Amino acid sequence: MLYWEDFTIGQTLEFGSYLVTEKETIEFAREFDPQPFHIDRVAAAEHYYGGIIASGWHTGAMCMRMMVDGYLHDSASVGSPGIETLRWKSPVRPGETLHVNAEVLDKSLPKSMPELGFIKFSHTVFNQLGEVKMTLVSSGMFLKDPARITTTEASE
Amino acid sequence: MTLIYFEDISVGDKTSYGSKRVTREEMLDFSRKYDPQSFHIDDKAAEDSLYGGLIASGWHTAAMLMRMLVDSMGNKRAGLGSPGFDDLRWIKPVRADDVLRFESTVLETRKSISRPDMGVVRAEVYVFNQDNEIVLSLKTTGMMKTRAE
Repeated sequence: MLYWEDFTIGQTLEFGSYLVTEKETIEFAREFDPQPFHIDRVAAAEHYYGGIIASGWHTGAMCMRMMVDGYLHDSASVGSPGIETLRWKSPVRPGETLHVNAEVLDKSLPKSMPELGFIKFSHTVFNQLGEVKMTLVSSGMFLKDPARITTTEASE
Repeated sequence: MTLIYFEDISVGDKTSYGSKRVTREEMLDFSRKYDPQSFHIDDKAAEDSLYGGLIASGWHTAAMLMRMLVDSMGNKRAGLGSPGFDDLRWIKPVRADDVLRFESTVLETRKSISRPDMGVVRAEVYVFNQDNEIVLSLKTTGMMKTRAE
């Protein structure tokens, strides 16, 4: 189990191998982002993007799934307060396979919640050719390891 | 159909839209696919967590906002996509049967220097629940077509 203490500033992680299918791309966009260049092959072909591209929010969701499978599933993650910046650098198209590089940028301890800490990460999503598709800087909340909280801290 | 172009947007323009009821089934469906952390997919684990019960994935809340944004524009906006967003905050958890709406205010409009056929619109967007509590906020950036000269 990865607690707040187990992440170090500068640490890097590489994970994920997510094949983007046309079916899933269209399904996601029909529900959440039904713009023609996400859901309609003919309209997308005539559009600026020249073919169906994934909703940027779908790329975000796929990144989230890779994060869960990559390290969060085995961690004391208790959610996230938000995302500082997210950039869609180039369109994601069906047939691409995505992976993620992550780096721990910073760690902090909020005074109001002694049982947890914040970790700021950068995540970069690449396709199989190493082209950057999306970057984000976000924070996660992780529980501190009860076994490593000293008695002086615990009694404060 | 009359399209809305970059020139039709002004700083201070406000939009208020939406009445999206979040169902337990769609919360679970989204989280099982994209965010299978225990407090999103497992009732018992969620009850024992900081949240005291199942909550929607923050990405699901953002995706539901996107759907409301698209619906509010009715495909009338001469949009060219988005380079990204800033300062997204998940302020309060979204739970099953919450009803969501958004309010947006245009913060800035500027013509692209490199592409005169394009303008950039920045806006501040808040998502509220049925109790008028803010659940999510973010600053969006969108690109729009300018009218042909």
